[in-house]
Amino acid sequence: MNLNEILDMLLSTLQTTGIYNLEWRLLIMWGVGCLFVYLAIAKKYEPLLLLPIGFGIFIVNFPMVPLMGYSHGHPQLLQVFYHYGLEWEVMPCIIFLGLGAMTDFGPLIANPKTLLIGAGTQLGVFITFTGTVLVGFTLKEAASVSIIGGADGPTTIYLTQHLAPQLLGPNALAAYSYMAMVPLIQPPIMRLMTTPEERRIPARQLRHVSKQEKILFPLITVGIIALLVPSVIPLMGMFMLGNLMKESGVVERLTETAQGPLMNIITIFLGLSVGATMQADKFLSWKPLFIFSLGLLDFAVCTIGGILTVKIMNLFLKEKINPLIGSAGVSAVPMAARVSQVEGLKYDKTNHLLMHAIGPNLAGVIGSAAAAGMFIAMFN
Amino acid sequence: MKNSVLFVVILILVFPLYSIAEGFLNVPVIKEGTTIKKTDSRLESTVNLSHDEAVTFYRDALEDYKDIKFREWKDATYIEDDGSRPWHSITISKGTKKQTTVIIVKDNWTWIITTLVLRYIGVFVVLTVLFLGMSISGKIVSGLVKRAEKRNAVST
Repeated sequence: MNLNEILDMLLSTLQTTGIYNLEWRLLIMWGVGCLFVYLAIAKKYEPLLLLPIGFGIFIVNFPMVPLMGYSHGHPQLLQVFYHYGLEWEVMPCIIFLGLGAMTDFGPLIANPKTLLIGAGTQLGVFITFTGTVLVGFTLKEAASVSIIGGADGPTTIYLTQHLAPQLLGPNALAAYSYMAMVPLIQPPIMRLMTTPEERRIPARQLRHVSKQEKILFPLITVGIIALLVPSVIPLMGMFMLGNLMKESGVVERLTETAQGPLMNIITIFLGLSVGATMQADKFLSWKPLFIFSLGLLDFAVCTIGGILTVKIMNLFLKEKINPLIGSAGVSAVPMAARVSQVEGLKYDKTNHLLMHAIGPNLAGVIGSAAAAGMFIAMFN
Repeated sequence: MKNSVLFVVILILVFPLYSIAEGFLNVPVIKEGTTIKKTDSRLESTVNLSHDEAVTFYRDALEDYKDIKFREWKDATYIEDDGSRPWHSITISKGTKKQTTVIIVKDNWTWIITTLVLRYIGVFVVLTVLFLGMSISGKIVSGLVKRAEKRNAVST
């Protein structure tokens, strides 16, 4: 064997490594992936999702890694997760099952008029749709981007996978990033939209909700949603099943599994799969930049929509509602409700808004699912 | 040399015009058609083809386009673009056997805004119905629970 043959062998060996196939776009994606891992670990921004998403972005952007493609016709590891979990729209629905099993709808049942706040909040979703079409997205893409303002991760993923799967990564990232930033985004808007007197409106004690009412609630809700917006029943049906399991009190083992181990397992696969869709050739374009900008606008208008709805309701109500709970109509549960509580306490140390804000917060989950259903119906 | 340059310039100027003449808003138009009305945003024409033939023509012509939807209505086939193309819809009437009316309409904001407003109202309707359902069931159930509690208190 002569020197040339040895060099050839070395070169061909080098060509089978990632180093030989590196390119600048991959380096940028490493940065993006590491940024989200950093935000998850150092800033604690939605770490349960941003950490696996960030790692997913990082790991798929190495050259030649057998993760998101096919080997001899068989799907590779993350491709399997993506195909069965996201393309089949399974994972967002299972996340909703777990969320349902963790949720107490008591505050919403005690004060059902807060459901209207959840509807009013969707203003941002519909306004952002217009803006998104104006900057050149298709109608389906616009619908999937605009739902980000609903601040509901699984709904965003569900709708995007349904209408514009090519935007799944950026949309999910924008939704979860802004959900984590609710305490930064909302307070200035809340202060701008309310007067000091309005912020001091006292919250009266909520009535007691019986167990029977809590058991009936998921059945009534699922019945109404199935009749009016059947396209979101996979999401809402699982959400209400989880809640029925919890409230019935007869399937504790199932409830614990749904809200604990099952939810955790699915969260890992969901995060990784979403991150894995963000390969450099798909992600590095003008669209993600617009998605992040429009997502912020979306969140802001949704917050305004919720507060305005409370103000309009106050024109007709004898017992006024504190408009600070309007911002909780974005469905980032329970973060948005906590923001209402913190802001309320700044103006009256005895005025605890948390339980009152949980009502619109949960209404926001139903409202954003209804908005997603409207969009799906629009294109089906 | 001058003549060659002139020829190329003329060719560049004329060729796009020739291409556009083939269609309206980038939608292919059936050649044998008679234009009834044409504005910047709408082209209405009749073609000597049956409805099925006209639909087949557009199915073939739009085969490679994504985000196109064919809806079958009672008196027309409605082709809608959900992408970002300059046209919004093509309506092919189900009229007489050998003459079909084809209407191509430009993408319009009236449709987008109207559908958005309706859907926003739709979200309110869904949650209002839920609100009413919960209020009624809440009153009934809490009434029944109170009555049962009273009965229990009396019996004990």
